[in-house]
Amino acid sequence: MSRYGDLHEGDEIPSLELKPGLGMAIRYCAIGWVFPPIFFDVEAAHAQGMPGMMVPGPLKLGFLYRAVEEWLGDGGFVRHVRAAHRRPDLQGRTITVTGRVARLYEEEGSHRADIELAVVNDEGQQSVRGFASVQFFD
Amino acid sequence: MPEESLITPEVRALVGRESPAVPVRVTRRAVERTLELYQGAHPGTLEPGKPVTSFVLVALDNEAEAIDVPQLLPDSLLISNEMEFDRQIVLGDDLMATWRVADISERFGGRFGYSVYVRTETVFRDPVGNPVARSARTMMHYDARNAAGGEEP
Repeated sequence: MSRYGDLHEGDEIPSLELKPGLGMAIRYCAIGWVFPPIFFDVEAAHAQGMPGMMVPGPLKLGFLYRAVEEWLGDGGFVRHVRAAHRRPDLQGRTITVTGRVARLYEEEGSHRADIELAVVNDEGQQSVRGFASVQFFD
Repeated sequence: MPEESLITPEVRALVGRESPAVPVRVTRRAVERTLELYQGAHPGTLEPGKPVTSFVLVALDNEAEAIDVPQLLPDSLLISNEMEFDRQIVLGDDLMATWRVADISERFGGRFGYSVYVRTETVFRDPVGNPVARSARTMMHYDARNAAGGEEP
């Protein structure tokens, strides 16, 4: 669990390594009942100029959320999470979520932190630039 | 590749348009499916009225009736998305969800050629109308025949 008083700007949050595949993409499609073919049809992905089936962007937002949630534990809650998608991530490839505490501050009587996040692919390229803001209970 | 804007006055008039509010409930099933989706974990047992993963909005987003924006170009990509919470989401939350078109803009040139950007939002309010959460996404619409490759927009 992260406590506001123990944190310093620049602290890194534990990284999260994942290998999202077709099953995870289909779960994403099913949960919102949206089925863009680029997530499960390789020919459709090629037709859109992609080298293969993509990891859904909203799912990558979930990975950012999860990395922050696991770091935060019972110490607070996520107020804001954002993903700017810079390049596609292909299914079956390893991605890593990284993050660092960018700012510690008080707002509306509560302790808060801004977290800079990224998704990095297995070639070391940043595919998502992310951001989260959290509110602590202490 | 279009040399003139595809954003006609009719398309521009969609900005700000909001769908009727629809009721959504944060159910145990929605929470469990969300956790399974992003491989998250919930400490302890799920209890009504207790906080759950706020990412559960991913399961509720599409309950709101989307405003139809004309497909101006054949292909589309999500370029950004976000969720913002005014408070923790709890199991059993009864919310009202509204979909709105927040912005439509365009870009001439670039790696994807001419492209149109559509930002939409789903706003979740409690039964008395207080905002609880908001999810937003920006889609880039483009023609893959004019794209240089799957690099960043």
